[in-house]
Amino acid sequence: MKVAAFLPELFRHLFKKPATLDYPFKKIAVPKDFRGTPFLHPEICIVCKACERDCPAEAIEITPVNEAEKRFRMVIHNDRCVHCAQCVDSCPTTPVKAMEMDHLHEIAAFDRHDLKKEWEYVRALPKRPAPAAPKPAAETAEKAGA
Amino acid sequence: MAVLNTILYLVVFPGLLFLFVYSTFVEWFDRKVYARLQNRMGPTHTGKSGVLQPIADFVKLMAKEDIVPDLADKKLFSALPVIGLAVVITAGLLLPVWNIDLAAPGPISFPGDLIVILYLLSLPTLILFLAGWSSTNAFSIIGGTRVLTMLFGYEVPLFLAVLSPALLAGSWRLAEIAAFYRAHPLLILVNIIGFGVALIAVQAKLERTPFDIPHAETEIVGGTFTEYSGKKLAFFRLMADIEMVVAAGLLATVFLGGFGGGFLSAFAQFIVKTLFVVFLLAVLRAVTGRVRVDQVVSFAWKWLAPLAVLQLLIVILIKGFVL
Amino acid sequence: MKFNIPIGPQHPALKEPISIRLTVEGEVIQDADLRLGYNHRGVEKLAEEKSWIQNIYLTERICGICSHSHSTCFVQGAEKLLEIEPPRRGLYLRYLVSELERIHSHLLWLGVAGHEAGFDTFFMYTWRDREVVMDLLEMISGNRVHYAINTLGGVRRDLDEDLRKKILEGLVVLKKRSEYYFKIGASEPTFVGRLAGVGRLTLQQAKDFCAVGPMARASGLARDIRKDDPYAFYNEVEFDVATADTCDVLGRTVVRIKELFESYKICEQILRKLPDGPVAVKAPRKAKPNEVVSRYEAPRGENIHYIISNGTEKPERLKVRAPTLANYPATIEILKHGFIADIPLIFAAIDPCICCAERSVEMIDARSGEERTLRFSDLRRMANERRRTLPLQRNVAWPF
Repeated sequence: MKVAAFLPELFRHLFKKPATLDYPFKKIAVPKDFRGTPFLHPEICIVCKACERDCPAEAIEITPVNEAEKRFRMVIHNDRCVHCAQCVDSCPTTPVKAMEMDHLHEIAAFDRHDLKKEWEYVRALPKRPAPAAPKPAAETAEKAGA
Repeated sequence: MAVLNTILYLVVFPGLLFLFVYSTFVEWFDRKVYARLQNRMGPTHTGKSGVLQPIADFVKLMAKEDIVPDLADKKLFSALPVIGLAVVITAGLLLPVWNIDLAAPGPISFPGDLIVILYLLSLPTLILFLAGWSSTNAFSIIGGTRVLTMLFGYEVPLFLAVLSPALLAGSWRLAEIAAFYRAHPLLILVNIIGFGVALIAVQAKLERTPFDIPHAETEIVGGTFTEYSGKKLAFFRLMADIEMVVAAGLLATVFLGGFGGGFLSAFAQFIVKTLFVVFLLAVLRAVTGRVRVDQVVSFAWKWLAPLAVLQLLIVILIKGFVL
Repeated sequence: MKFNIPIGPQHPALKEPISIRLTVEGEVIQDADLRLGYNHRGVEKLAEEKSWIQNIYLTERICGICSHSHSTCFVQGAEKLLEIEPPRRGLYLRYLVSELERIHSHLLWLGVAGHEAGFDTFFMYTWRDREVVMDLLEMISGNRVHYAINTLGGVRRDLDEDLRKKILEGLVVLKKRSEYYFKIGASEPTFVGRLAGVGRLTLQQAKDFCAVGPMARASGLARDIRKDDPYAFYNEVEFDVATADTCDVLGRTVVRIKELFESYKICEQILRKLPDGPVAVKAPRKAKPNEVVSRYEAPRGENIHYIISNGTEKPERLKVRAPTLANYPATIEILKHGFIADIPLIFAAIDPCICCAERSVEMIDARSGEERTLRFSDLRRMANERRRTLPLQRNVAWPF
């Protein structure tokens, strides 16, 4: 039974730099895949509402503003968001997803309604495969002639 | 003129103001060393690297609401912090902080003031017990009983350990003991065992880890301090800080040769030697965990008391055969 | 003189509200009474209103420290109900995060045990080293707590070569520090003096009171779901079940430190044998009516999720039996005849995750209104009777 077994380690620490980070005067960068808050690229969104359906916190709200013009409004309630990024995973658009997570994590506010983000946009067309090549002119002329 | 001198002495140096400022500095030093040993930062940002943090804590506590429980004995409950503070400040006045003229000492240095200072340091323990008792809270009562149980453990080794250098120096006066060791510095090494025993016993008196059972935070909420808040708690914490300064000063005087030379040199020596003792206490705090109250008593009687008696024996032998 | 000391619901020793009422005489505890329910959030009811994929995130938030355990236990069961099987690489990644979570949880516990014993230095050191694991988990999954790396059919993110190397380096650092703690923790006299002989639970008592996890393993009961009922790839991975036979808090500490080393071994095997391929398969939205019991070895013991599906995209019923709940009866037994000074240690040694255990456990007799504790044999008898009298559901028509 050694008395004070920690002693050498303790004294070594007197001369080491402290492991504490002097936040908020010094900050460190977050890793590249960090899940911050979600935001929308409105020009790509096809309003399939998969994100709204899959959100566990009901933080995404998509409402039609004008049916004829296909204008929609999306509100992301960042005060309800749990930062799980399921909306990003559910978004089906390719090659770039309409929903994306940024790296913001210092999002405290005094009023929760300050944390809501809104976009109003026209629905983008879902990408379709290129139309089939036109038939050779001889064939159509034959059909037309016959 | 003498009256003005006395008032300055009581209020400014080494009385109220000096003890207040110095004890907050000592608390900062203790917290900083403790944190650095644990690879943390300790207090920062308040004043240069956190020096004003203990004063900030004191001011914050003074500004908070003061609640007295219904069932508590109000007069005793409110008077205890003030009495405690008065006791430790009086003990602080007895430290020979500058070169006391041994021929014409004055009221603060007299034969037997070693015993007076030890007695004055035992009073806070009783006051803490009364504080716990008068709070009529289950946790406080248990804290109070633990304080007294620990007293049975460490008091005797502390007295014996502090006695040995006094025996070697042949005097009961703090100033004379200090002067003796300044004259024969090699004899300080004779009292090494006593220094160790006194350090551990003082850690128990100040109720710091490993002996912080009476106010063990994770077990009985606040122990004796559970019901105290606001100004009363501020005074209790100040009392604990000044008690640390007095205990460190006592150990420095008796074991490390006191503070000599002119006024400035004595002041500098006071600061250096008390900070050294505080450093050792902080290391002791960081390196151990908390022990149970029955383990304290058994440890004190199995190890501390015999070592103190051994020290006494060594001192008697040396005094008999060498001096 | 007998005192009644209430520990909780608010108490500095407890991280979460729970009420223990102790009858003490001097410093010795005579009797203990446990009251739960302060942290009840209605998770099981909420699970019935959310779809399978939303429930992953809900079950994750049952607990903060063992979030991946609940999420994985649920996903294991849901994948059986949806009749899909995740690919090998996805499985390996999922359980890599499991083992990393076990490491972080045990390091956290070591710090908490040190703090409860008054040994703050140990607390600071272990939590500083835990930052290594937290940073690794943040790089893998995007968040330090609530990793959300599970999805129905696999995991959501992949590991690239760079990250794999970083994890291996981090493991080397952690192994060195854990060896240091093993050496020191077993020889620092104040620490060992506090832990040894405290909270004795004999082997027979551990069996009688159905203790799980490190609490049972410290009494010599070698029960580990990863060995008894291997799920995923645990029958292909080499590791030992950590046991100790001192039956006290010191044994539980030693078991957890040994489990740290086993987890390092498993993590290294996973990283070296990581197969290639996709990390997830596509999952259907609805599940056929069925029921499944999913068991998982959480850092605290055996975690059981019982899920019933009814053909829609929401579960019919989710029942969570967290390991801490199974350890409560044993805890009450240990608390009797202990010292007051040992309460935080005993309670910390079961590694309580009180918010995991707050399902509504009613033990009140409905007719007479009196409270009594049911023995496990009674509960078992009642459950078997009910199952016999319920009509079997065959050939249920489900709209697909």
